[in-house]
Amino acid sequence: MTEAPLLEIDALRANVAGNEILTGLNLTVRPGEVHAIMGPNGSGKSTLANTLMGNPRYEVTGGEVRFLGEALDGMAPDERARQGLFLAFQYPVAVPGVTVVNFLRQAVNAVRGEEVPVREFRQELFQKMELLKVDRDFARRYLNDGFSGGEKKRAEMLQLAMLQPRMAVLDETDSGLDIDALRTVADGVNALMNENMGLLLITHYQRLLNYIKPQFVHVLIDGRIVRSGGPELAEELEASGYDAIEAAASTA
Amino acid sequence: MTSAPSTAASMLTPEASRALGEALGDGASVAGLRTSGAAALDRALPSPALDRPWKYVDPAALNLDGFAPPDAASADWGGAQDIEGLEVAGFEEAPEGALARLGGAVAVEDSRLTALHYAFLQGGVLVEAKANAEIAEPVRLTREFTAAGGLATPHTLVVAGPNSRLTLIEEYRSSDEPMAVLPAVELLAGPGAVVSYTSLHRWGARTRVFAEQRAVTEPNSDVRSLSLVTGGRLVKSHITSSLEGRGSSSEIYGLSVGGGDEHTDFYTVQDHVAEDTRSDLLIKSALGDRSRAVYYGLTKVGLGARRADANQENRNLLLSRTAKADSDPVLEILTNDVTRVSHGATAGPVDEEELFYIQSRGLTREGAVGLLVRGFLGEPLDRSGLAEGIRNELSALVETKLQAVGAGA
Repeated sequence: MTEAPLLEIDALRANVAGNEILTGLNLTVRPGEVHAIMGPNGSGKSTLANTLMGNPRYEVTGGEVRFLGEALDGMAPDERARQGLFLAFQYPVAVPGVTVVNFLRQAVNAVRGEEVPVREFRQELFQKMELLKVDRDFARRYLNDGFSGGEKKRAEMLQLAMLQPRMAVLDETDSGLDIDALRTVADGVNALMNENMGLLLITHYQRLLNYIKPQFVHVLIDGRIVRSGGPELAEELEASGYDAIEAAASTA
Repeated sequence: MTSAPSTAASMLTPEASRALGEALGDGASVAGLRTSGAAALDRALPSPALDRPWKYVDPAALNLDGFAPPDAASADWGGAQDIEGLEVAGFEEAPEGALARLGGAVAVEDSRLTALHYAFLQGGVLVEAKANAEIAEPVRLTREFTAAGGLATPHTLVVAGPNSRLTLIEEYRSSDEPMAVLPAVELLAGPGAVVSYTSLHRWGARTRVFAEQRAVTEPNSDVRSLSLVTGGRLVKSHITSSLEGRGSSSEIYGLSVGGGDEHTDFYTVQDHVAEDTRSDLLIKSALGDRSRAVYYGLTKVGLGARRADANQENRNLLLSRTAKADSDPVLEILTNDVTRVSHGATAGPVDEEELFYIQSRGLTREGAVGLLVRGFLGEPLDRSGLAEGIRNELSALVETKLQAVGAGA
């Protein structure tokens, strides 16, 4: 645990539409670590994901987030992406008229800061598509336009695979996936994960954690982490529910 | 809106029409239409106050009295006349047999403007695909107008014989002098014919355009059209597809990029007359500066048009706070037996959530706007089904205009 942290979240407070959602959240992720943040509806899961990526609708009102030692405050979403931060969206936006291949090429060039030769890019794309069991026709479709829930999540994983971030935040990636699709997506993420990378899984249900194994599990309630532990904490949650943990946390 | 160059008595008189016909040595069909046009010159102009399709047009722009009758008309179609199964000819040389169908789709009596078109018709071109002819290469027709203060009246008559296939790309250009142009395009699709017609409106800064395009389909024919507007002070296009043949279809695509004070105006009619007819429509405008886009469109499903399938969509992207879009798609359905009839309209700036999503993948805000705008406009181009070379040419026209409007990288 001596390696410098990738992500340090320090007493983070954030508002959306004037309501305080994050109320002092602390978390540190180091290279090679997989963390899971679990929380009930309304606990601040999506706010955390959006705030980390710099969604302008979310306002940081206190605390600090550092990525690779640098404060993220005031940094535009694209700068964060170029630094190596990635967010897999819970609800990816459809972009009619822009094909998956065109979008990926522009994104890859932007993040790597250089024009990747077309041939090299295509080779890499096809290889990553194979890894994620995505049909090649997929590349020519408009991004997320008319995609099923499963296709959208696979498209997100394909972007993750191509952009090779240092730190990936997966916001409810398991929602809307049937068990086969979940397994495919999880296999892909496991194959992409490496010792230099950090992974933060944000999820309501324990299901995803059967396939992507976190070393650290945190419970998010009312905008802050009320308990942290190992994988066994996820099982405890599954057995006893958020209410029990919330009750215990409020009396502690 | 600049008014006509002169407010003196109109030069567009029945006498001037007759003189033009004599000078051009009209054949029987053109002469007949010219006479009808001249006789209808006293019809009232369309009224923006009363006529819904004209609602947003500056009444002063409709007054064409100060314009001079057409001078020479330039139309160029390369070597297209030598292609087997294809006839391309100016009306002066075209066979009377084909010209007998002239005026069958765009009628003389529609309005004062169509009356003017026929009364002063000059520069008509016939493009005819013979029965079963499959014209592989797109036919290119280029028209250029330069007469300051002049009226121009290009006419394109497309006759697609039974089971023929034809792609026509018509390009309009004009200089930056004040000009009024009344183009008419008639698309007559024979049984089983497949026609693709594209018009490129690259008008000069002070050209006002009132275009009429009407397709009439025979059974099992398909007509697809695309209008790309990248210039012109006022470009008003009336595009109608009359689905008169059973099992026929129409696809109408349009896109415009507005800058400065430009006004682009589409009025469309998807007229389902026969059974088992299908129509699709997508018109998109990206609007910068103080430009304006108007869309008014009608999907008509007649009593006899059972199992009609119609879709109608208009989308407008506002790239500046001073740009404006008005959109009004309308359905008029007289039968209960339809397969599907749908319509939609939107107007607004680039969506912030879409921008955030794209920016989160590393593209700058400017780059993300640029990507969204190009994707937005790319959709009708994609759906037009044009060959890649032409598709790229059209994209380049769009790109040049977007750069001029300052819309992203």
